[in-house]
Amino acid sequence: MRKLRVAIAGLTACSGCQLSLLNCEDELPGLLEQFEFHFFPMACSPALLEGDYDAALVEGCVSMPHEIALLQELRRRSKYLIVLGTCAACGGVAALRNSDERELLRRMVYGQNAVAAETFNPQPLQSVVPVDAVVTGCPPEKDELLRMLTGLVRGALPVSIDYPVCTECRMHENLCLLTERNVLCLGPLTLGGCGARCPSMSVPCEGCRGPVPEANLKETFEIYNQKGFERQTVLERLRRFCPEWKL
Amino acid sequence: MAIHFIADHNLEALLERLRRYGELHAPVRGDDGVVRFSLLIPGIIPDLTALRTLLPPKKYLLHPRETILSYTSEAGYQLPVEISPPLIMFGLHPCDLAGINYLDRIFLGDEPDPLYAARRSATTLIGVACTPDELCSCQQILSPLKALSDLFLSNVEGGFAVASGSPRGDELLEGIKDILEEQEGDMPEDSRRFFGHAVSEQPRHELDVTLPEWQEYADKCLGCGACSICCPTCYCFDVLEFSGLDGRSAVRVRQWDNCLFKSHAQVAGGMSFRKDRAERFRYRYLHKYRSFGTLHGIPSCVGCGRCRVVCPTGIDLRPLAERLEEVHHG
Repeated sequence: MRKLRVAIAGLTACSGCQLSLLNCEDELPGLLEQFEFHFFPMACSPALLEGDYDAALVEGCVSMPHEIALLQELRRRSKYLIVLGTCAACGGVAALRNSDERELLRRMVYGQNAVAAETFNPQPLQSVVPVDAVVTGCPPEKDELLRMLTGLVRGALPVSIDYPVCTECRMHENLCLLTERNVLCLGPLTLGGCGARCPSMSVPCEGCRGPVPEANLKETFEIYNQKGFERQTVLERLRRFCPEWKL
Repeated sequence: MAIHFIADHNLEALLERLRRYGELHAPVRGDDGVVRFSLLIPGIIPDLTALRTLLPPKKYLLHPRETILSYTSEAGYQLPVEISPPLIMFGLHPCDLAGINYLDRIFLGDEPDPLYAARRSATTLIGVACTPDELCSCQQILSPLKALSDLFLSNVEGGFAVASGSPRGDELLEGIKDILEEQEGDMPEDSRRFFGHAVSEQPRHELDVTLPEWQEYADKCLGCGACSICCPTCYCFDVLEFSGLDGRSAVRVRQWDNCLFKSHAQVAGGMSFRKDRAERFRYRYLHKYRSFGTLHGIPSCVGCGRCRVVCPTGIDLRPLAERLEEVHHG
């Protein structure tokens, strides 16, 4: 059987999503039987785009002109363009300070006299190109990555999740941190699929997987409010992983 | 009348005896205050006063996520091989027993589910009486579901009256007879009395789609799924198939689903039978209070109150049910 040709690229982000894939040590030999990771600069050199790809997996935000060019190039060459991780899906940590002036940020980071590269506000991939599927997470769950890849072998795109973190948290029979412990837990607003990793360890959900479809922000904020959390506190927490939240 | 009596001080001895028949599970209060059905280790006292565990006993019979088929290109699709060890569930309140009765009707009906059937036949149910609190509603709707158990313990002065409800229960009674006392006395009021009634034939109100309540509830609902995950009778599941790394194998899994999720009524091509949350809320109500298919007219709500306890926004269907159903206040 022909191996699937895949391109894996990282834009503005921490490379953690790509690293999650490389961390699948036990499965990598099996994956190499099924896939040709033809373009994967983080893992193999030389890395040159060449020919068409069955799928391109792209991590990170678009924040520089050359990233737009690379993304468009990947889109042109690939049957499927798959969003890898929360930054690429909705901005994530990379877009945390999008509400601040770029010039101010540049000076804060590089100092008064530095000449910084040409950048603009980090954007999710969908603001530049159409995408075929999203595997969210900061980073994505190993199981989700592997399922997405093995699904591609059968020509299937991953099934999108539409339930929040609370669903799996309840399945684990956890104490509800929000209603019982009065903790600012973003579980009701955040896309599930992580197996409620944090609340299962009594750590409130930070919202790292981005918003769940049909999130009921109004009512959830009502609960936060009753628990004594200010509007600004809630917003800051929400926007840590998704700058689009409005309250 | 004569009753089989077991004294409070013999409870430990009873539990120890029951362990001979299988793995003993009972409600246990964790350090976090959550009461869960869990393995009862010797020395741990079951919490028989708590009215509801967070998850109902359905978690033992229909796992939250489980493999239902595995595929290899050589053998095709195959049912999983699962050995169900004997399980003794101790401390089930009548609503949970009725919940299992409902699941039995679903999964042991005309097409028995092999996984459910194997687990169910390996399960012994031991009920314990309770008194409804303000969150319960078993006393409001007389249910045709039966609160069946192998043994049932009712509180009496200084201990419990023990009654058998099956040949299995008779066998257990025989096995514990040396710690039972035969006493003369009256059985206390049966806390299973709200279950096992004939289906009401009275016509009920039409579930009008234009009722403003559907939207009101939908506006409050976070879509978190807690109500149905914690419901003893919600059995909806999603079926997913994942292929293996070798490209020649796959597993098909089912996992608990919820009628309030966007994808629940979605079909191929992205079409949906219930596009918005208000429609989904009406559907949930319909299933809980009217049911459909072969169970039409049998409410699947057993009144345990879990949905009210776990709903982050405190949604309570009772006021609507009082209006739309033939309710009987106990």
